[in-house]
Formats: sequence, structure tokens, C-alpha cells
Amino acid sequence: MAENRRRRRSLFDLISDYVEDFEALSEEMERAFAERPSWDTRSCCIEPLCSVFVAADEVVVTADLPNTNPDTIKVEPVTKDLLEIRAEMKRKVSFEEFGITHRKGEFSFFRCQTRIPVAVDVKRMKTQFKRGILEVHLPRKKGYRIKVE
Amino acid sequence: MSELVRVVEKKPVPSNATILHGLPDVGLVGLIATSHIITQLKMSEIAYVDSELLPSVVVLHEGLPYAPLRIFGNGGLIATLSEAAIPAKAVQPVMRKLVEWGQAKNTKLMVSMGGVPVQDRQDLETVKVYGAASNPSLLRTLSDKGIEILSGGFMVGPYALIMRYCAERNIPAIALLAQSFYNYPDPEAAAAAIKEFSKMTGLTIDVSKLVERGEEIRLRARDVMKRTEQELNRMKKTQEYDLPLYV
Repeated sequence: MAENRRRRRSLFDLISDYVEDFEALSEEMERAFAERPSWDTRSCCIEPLCSVFVAADEVVVTADLPNTNPDTIKVEPVTKDLLEIRAEMKRKVSFEEFGITHRKGEFSFFRCQTRIPVAVDVKRMKTQFKRGILEVHLPRKKGYRIKVE
Repeated sequence: MSELVRVVEKKPVPSNATILHGLPDVGLVGLIATSHIITQLKMSEIAYVDSELLPSVVVLHEGLPYAPLRIFGNGGLIATLSEAAIPAKAVQPVMRKLVEWGQAKNTKLMVSMGGVPVQDRQDLETVKVYGAASNPSLLRTLSDKGIEILSGGFMVGPYALIMRYCAERNIPAIALLAQSFYNYPDPEAAAAAIKEFSKMTGLTIDVSKLVERGEEIRLRARDVMKRTEQELNRMKKTQEYDLPLYV
């Protein structure tokens, strides 16, 4: 019975299954690399939540930076596809404030590095900070134009 | 055969109560809002959810271990709260069990508080709260209370399932969904949802402390938000941005 059901499945179903399996695997691998604490006591840094959105004309990077002094925010390219965001907190926070007593450490900075998946023009980068959210707009580089007949 | 999901009752559970769900979803709106209500109304733990499908974790509070998905109660209000992200594969059986359990307790209303992700959320000065309901009469009640109805589109995730299972079983259920960030904790949206919850239930809940502590909550909620986002991606939560097709 199960054999018959398998035989009846179309090629598209099989391809769809393979794509789903592949996506799940790549997601797991990505997660395995990303599984690390969101803080570093040695550098007194907390990693903020951050996301990258690729639009047709630009890449928009946002970061959640609560308790941040806006004047201290720095956005700098590390390499042509890696952007670093750094900001100083208005006041230090410690594990104890989060109800954790078995770890010691204070944090006074936010710091994260995020990869930009497409070519961008960093010189034309624009930033804004509103409601504790940093928004970085990076215009995409345009290689060539195809003439539509 | 053992049950896939069990609700383990630790104290007597009131009948005919309103059940509020605070589960990790976009902006952690429901989780933040429900957690605030539990503290404000001094609700105590009456039950917890046990399942092999849930992560192998306990949450320590003042040195004592607790299940991450717990149920609190005080008088006529019951609240479910999950302090850890619920794995995508566990969402269906857990939500089905919560609805079945609520029905067994003759719940008079199930309320889900959550978020509706919007682009440029940081540009919104005030947050709008939309309502959805399991039957037309409740939709009218929401409208009468001045809550705009979420008339079309997709709902994805725990609240979508609660709404569907409640509609199937004729359990009165509403969802109060505040405009929110998708993957950043949003205490302001939680405060807006609580205000509408107060209107619906007549319970007075002060949200000033929640707003005051907004930055601290956002800092504390980063890790839960990150894991919740991973599970939301598995549930294809972004389908909420899609336009449905009715021809």
C-alpha cells in the first residue's frame, strides 16, 4: 500500500521533498554555527538582535538597541560584505539584574557583525535611530542595465 | 499508551474561567503581556504542560525548577505562559491539548494576545490592535468595543490553531493582535494589547510599569526572541504577509 503511494508520487513532489530536506539541513547547519551565547563577559558586550532585508534597490540592516546612547552608535564596514554595529549603553547591566547569580559580568556595549549578502555602496550608507531601533540603508550596486526592446 | 501532551494540574482549576494565552510569537507580544498580567494580578501556578515534544529544559526561579509552559490562575482568570519558544513540530498537539483542556474546564472565553508584524513599526507613534473571533457574535462584541476586525489574510502559528480548534468546538475565542515588530521584543505593543484585553474583560490592569520597563524587557527578551524567530521561520510565519486568493 505504502509502496503504491510512493510510486504514485509525481516528480514534482519528489523534487519538493528534496528541496525541503535541503532547506532543513542548511537551516540546522546555520543554527549549529549560530549557537553561542549572545554575550561576551571579556569584552563586556551584548550581541543585539539584528536582521538584514534585501530589497530591489537597497539592503536594510536593523538592530534592536535598547538602553543605548544614540551618540555612541558606530556603523562600520569590516570588509566589503561585513558590517559592524557598535553602541554604548546608557547604563551598565549585569547578570544579577537578569536574575542570574551563578555568572558574573557587566555589560556596557552592544556589538554585532552582520554579513551583507549582495554588493552595496557603503559610501552612500544612511542611518537612522528611532524607538531604540537602528536602521542602516545601504544602496545596492548596479552592475549593468539590460535594454528592454 | 501515554498521551503525547499532558496538562498536569497542581491545584484546583476554576470552571467557567476566561483563559488567556501568552505564547511566544512575533514581537513576544502575548508572552510579555501575559507575564505582566500574571505579575499584576498575583496569579499563581495551578498546572503545567508536559510533553516529549517540548524542549528538555526547566526554568529556574529562585533556585526552584519549573516547566517552561505553565498555567496560572486567580479567580475567574486562567493564563497559559511559555517562557521558552515552542518547537514548530509541537505547536499543533500542544495547542489542541490546551483547547481540549479549556473545553473540559468549561471555559467561557479563550483570549489570545499577540502581534501583527508591520514594516516600519518604529515609525508608529500609536499601536493599533486588531481583533479576530471564532464566531460572528464575538466579532460584533469586538466591534462594539471599538476594536477593528482583522477581516482578511492569513494567521499562522499557535494563535491561528487556537482560533481554528475553538471554532471547530464552538468554544468562544478571540485574538487581540497589536501591530508589532516581527523579530524584536515589543513591550509597547504588549501594553496596547493589554488595554484592549481590559476593555473586553473589565479587568483593570495598569500598564505603566510595563512601558517604563520597556528597555529592560527588550534586553532580557533577546534570547527567547531569537529562538522564537527560528521556530516562526519553521512555521512559515511570513505567510501572514501573503495575500489570500478568493476568486
